[in-house]
Amino acid sequence: MPSPLDLADLPFLRDALVELVLLAIAGGILGAWIVLRRLAFFSHAVGSATFPGLVAADASGVSPTLAGVAVALGYAGGVERAGRAGREPSEATALLLVAALAGGVVLASDVFESGAAVDRLLFGTLLGLDEADLALSAAAAALATIATLTLGRAWAALTFDPDAAGGLGLPAGVADFLLLALVAVAAVAAIPAVGVLLVTVIYVLPAAAARLVARSVPALIGWALALALLEGIVGLYLAYWLDVPPGPPVALLGAGVYALVAVVSAR
Amino acid sequence: MSALRVEGLSAGYGGPPVLRDVSFEAEPGQTVCVLGPNGGGKTTLFRVLLGELAPIAGRVAGPGRPAYVAQTERTRLDFPVSALDVALMGTLATGRWWLPARGAERAAAAAALERVGLAERAGTRFGELSGGQRQRALLARALVQDARLLLLDEPLSGVDPASAGLIAAVFQELRAEGRTLLVSSHDVESARTFDRVLCLHGRQVAFGPPAEVLDRRTLEATYGSEMIVLEEGRPKRAVTIQHHEHGAH
Repeated sequence: MPSPLDLADLPFLRDALVELVLLAIAGGILGAWIVLRRLAFFSHAVGSATFPGLVAADASGVSPTLAGVAVALGYAGGVERAGRAGREPSEATALLLVAALAGGVVLASDVFESGAAVDRLLFGTLLGLDEADLALSAAAAALATIATLTLGRAWAALTFDPDAAGGLGLPAGVADFLLLALVAVAAVAAIPAVGVLLVTVIYVLPAAAARLVARSVPALIGWALALALLEGIVGLYLAYWLDVPPGPPVALLGAGVYALVAVVSAR
Repeated sequence: MSALRVEGLSAGYGGPPVLRDVSFEAEPGQTVCVLGPNGGGKTTLFRVLLGELAPIAGRVAGPGRPAYVAQTERTRLDFPVSALDVALMGTLATGRWWLPARGAERAAAAAALERVGLAERAGTRFGELSGGQRQRALLARALVQDARLLLLDEPLSGVDPASAGLIAAVFQELRAEGRTLLVSSHDVESARTFDRVLCLHGRQVAFGPPAEVLDRRTLEATYGSEMIVLEEGRPKRAVTIQHHEHGAH
């Protein structure tokens, strides 16, 4: 069993540790809003929607981060418009999810012949996290914190009672789009570490477990933040120990914690 | 000067108007009961008054942004907020929604809960309150807004008698304070206690004092296929078939 201190001592692990701590901050804070607004499926789909764009960008030398953010923001705008038009976006979201994954695999294997990159994009990696990845995650954590401090009261009021916007004079459309856009950017930030398929590991599982015990929005954010940090750091250690990408152990840990909290809170 | 003036209002959702030819005035301190069947235009009228829907034709002039009390079924019962949190949401209407709540705003929210008889349940989760208590918490949110015009969507629908009494008492206080109340309802009988009645059925059927408006001809025109039953032996008792049948079970 390797020493847990390696996480701080080995340079590549130190970068991964910083990355997961930043993502845990973004994930804990944004995750609370994701579970309250029932955006779990959106957060999963928006990560997957970027997959073909990431493959194409990776193969053609364009910054995958910029390509991912652009695709994700476009997708968030589409979902916000569909919601405003009163449409049920789940079917379109599901269709896009499947099409994006299939398209990404076809692009990677047959068009760009970069099959090796597919595993990394789907499940993340401990290796090769660069400064741009860390910067995007830091931006996601900072934006999540600032947005919650400034928009949190409006998000809570609009989620609790969607009809309240007019009477309270709240800019519902702008607030909704900013939340979706923030989730989209944060999902792209998580892709290098946990991969397209496991974005929800960071943004849904800790907050979903916290939701079982929290009795107020601040408590939910606090619990989600604590669980996200715990699962991220322990999951990273397990990934290092088992020599696997970090996404799967963090996912299993998150699912285990959720099950444990569900059993304990039901008593 | 009237608190609310609506002139030749028509409104819709992209297609033909779902509400047309609405003209009425409500003075400060007046209560107006808005009667009509489902789809009759009550919600559309409220959305126009709230500024969420632009009129196709006509004009609306009111005393600033109204406070709105939605039906409790439209709220998220699983949302982790207390009754005090809900009342505190009313302070967002001041336009400082990006800043934390101040001490004075918390005090105003607590006072509003006291006024609707919920002071002792301030810390209780909204979803754990009874239906009538939830309606009172939403009313407290509207009180915190300190609006001159209040729009209430069926506030007495399905609430317990104790809550209904408390809500009616608050209505009287608001009227005495010179505030204008528009209250949508299905209950024809309760409309008799209001200063004015507005009957809608895709258009304005009638507007005026209850004694002038609530006759059989107007109510039949208002409710159309939901015919009115005037109960035998109780000539003043008018109910829709929907409520008549519900009461029989």
